[in-house]
Amino acid sequence: MDYSCCSTFLFILLCVQAATLKPYLNCVKETLTAAMCVQSFDSQVVERHNKPEVEVKSSKELLLTPVVISRNEKEKVLIESSINSIRISIAVKQADEIEKILCHKFMRFMMMRAENFVILRRKPVEGYDISFLITNVHTEQMYKHKLVDFIIQFMEEIDKEINDMKLAVNSRARLSAEEFLKCF
Amino acid sequence: MAEKHNFGVNPVTCHAVSGDKTNLALSLNDHEVKIYKKSGNKWQETDTLGEHGQRVTGIDWASKSNRIVTCGADRNAYVWTYQNGKWKPELVILRINRAATCVRWSPEENKFAVGCGARLISVSYYEEEHRWWVSKHIKKPIRSTVTCLDWHPNNVLIAAGSTDFKARVFSGYIKEIESKPSPCAWGTKMMFATPMAEFSNGGGGWVHAISFSPSGDRIAWVGHDSSVSVADAANESRLVVIKDSFLPFLGITWVSENSMVAAGYDCNPMLFTYDAGKGSLSLVSKLDIPQEKAAGTVSAMNRFRDLDKKASSGDNSTELKTQHQNTITQVSVFDGTKAQCKRISTSGVDGNLIIWDLNVSQHSINASF
Amino acid sequence: MAKNTGASKFRKVDVDQYDEDKFQDEDIDVADQGPNDTEVSNLLAQYPLLSSANVNFHTGKNQDALLLVLNSAPIGSKNQAVKDRAANTVVRVLTSFKVADIDRAVKSLDQKNVDTLMKYIYRGFESPSDGSSASLLTWHEKVFAAGGLGSIVRVLTDRKRV
Repeated sequence: MDYSCCSTFLFILLCVQAATLKPYLNCVKETLTAAMCVQSFDSQVVERHNKPEVEVKSSKELLLTPVVISRNEKEKVLIESSINSIRISIAVKQADEIEKILCHKFMRFMMMRAENFVILRRKPVEGYDISFLITNVHTEQMYKHKLVDFIIQFMEEIDKEINDMKLAVNSRARLSAEEFLKCF
Repeated sequence: MAEKHNFGVNPVTCHAVSGDKTNLALSLNDHEVKIYKKSGNKWQETDTLGEHGQRVTGIDWASKSNRIVTCGADRNAYVWTYQNGKWKPELVILRINRAATCVRWSPEENKFAVGCGARLISVSYYEEEHRWWVSKHIKKPIRSTVTCLDWHPNNVLIAAGSTDFKARVFSGYIKEIESKPSPCAWGTKMMFATPMAEFSNGGGGWVHAISFSPSGDRIAWVGHDSSVSVADAANESRLVVIKDSFLPFLGITWVSENSMVAAGYDCNPMLFTYDAGKGSLSLVSKLDIPQEKAAGTVSAMNRFRDLDKKASSGDNSTELKTQHQNTITQVSVFDGTKAQCKRISTSGVDGNLIIWDLNVSQHSINASF
Repeated sequence: MAKNTGASKFRKVDVDQYDEDKFQDEDIDVADQGPNDTEVSNLLAQYPLLSSANVNFHTGKNQDALLLVLNSAPIGSKNQAVKDRAANTVVRVLTSFKVADIDRAVKSLDQKNVDTLMKYIYRGFESPSDGSSASLLTWHEKVFAAGGLGSIVRVLTDRKRV
């Protein structure tokens, strides 16, 4: 299968996927808009502290029901909310070994630079590939609808990014294999 | 018409106006309280009250005695009195060990109540003998942070909302400084800290704001489950709840005996009306009716400039269509009384304070009063 | 004298759980049994069979099944097995709908049932099986159009989970 054939195949695959991608992203967007209603809240357990309740989980009445939105068994989003913070965890589609490796490396690259991404969490929640932590400080400094758009755009781009990297890896591997086999 | 005043990019945590409406106190999400004086159409900064060690969470301005009370996340409250052109602070020992969340003067301004994260309400009154503010606690049966308070017009009862999903009415009767209260719709025996009523609207949802009606017979509160609830003590404590399609509200106040304004995460104040006869609660209108920008007037130059700058010609501005650009955190009566409110003020996370005229802007509101 | 042992286990003890005033969920256990499975199956069985005979009639049967499962949702129950079974039944009813019929079904629900349905949609997302997510996403879109952001907020805030 040559390169152009491969990309046509991918294009068709993406078109089929796009049919469920749009409702999936819409659903995530609406849920995020509803969940991102946070306010400043001082800890009622530790004196003079103010920390994200979704992380410390010290008072159960301040936590909301966590919800999952799934597109299929592999691709899903977990949204956990609390009175002053929400945590969004994304599981990215990984069809084969190479996608797994690429995804892992890519997420690791970003999470090592988490402070540059402001809302990125340094570690993903178990069972997911990447997590965001949005607190009331973020919603005070930034527009809420833009924060939601950022997450949605991230989800849109990440699949594309991994597909592109996979193609790049494959073509590079083919080239080096050709060069190597020329020796014989 | 609505007057919009901007105070920078930081959120306005809370605000209060003086009795004559010419002075304004607000906190910009830090440990200071700023005082502004009205000059023409602008608010001119005149003073800064900086005594708190952490974020200020509540301000209330006593209109008759011209005193300010503030509370903060540093667990302290201060009463500020105006003497010789200066605001003089007086520390109040609240005896609480978590952040204070809200503060309210009683209608007669001889005591005030503070809600806090220590699951209690602290009621403070001035003891002439020792020249000192003394605090008493209302503890049971609050199970979580007290988020909001309001005083009954009889100067005794306190309504409180909490993050344990309940709205409650307590007695705040201090026998040292006042005479025995006469019975009212909420009950007859009013020992200090007696729970008079407790309401839950079913399900969950932290109570964000609570308000007594002008007569004091009804309370209205808003919860995080996007609900507005009214309990009517004159009507066998009947509870009416409306749960609609909007986002949760953070503030509510009555603006007449039958209507109230609530605002919150939708960035748009909404007017609700309660019909005691039918026992129904309904949305009348939104106060902020966005003006549609005329489409199709994009000049060719703007179009190409946008294409150059943002790589798109569409109108993808970040602005919301509402006047407030972020969550509204407080709604209060600005001009008039709860029974006959002329103007209300809202402040929000976007650093704006907007004063809405209820008489002029909404003819439909007047009709429904 | 206290001996320095280097033990750090005590740091992990959650002392706050012994606080008397700590928030506790109300303990109301309603002995709800959830929807009757066979009854639902009977209603569903009539759906595809009659589809050619009378259009209005067959949607009615499916709507009956939806109303039945929503009205008998074991929301007050503490029994997880009952809740799981009810959730499975609801997902089965939802996936049996044809896309064209969803709109009409959602329109016939009142606000309380819309909220309950939204809860079940999110519950269904938690355990995706083949194809169920796609149909749940369609349902979500339609129910959102009816209930708005408020219905999602109530899925998050309600202590009575499905």
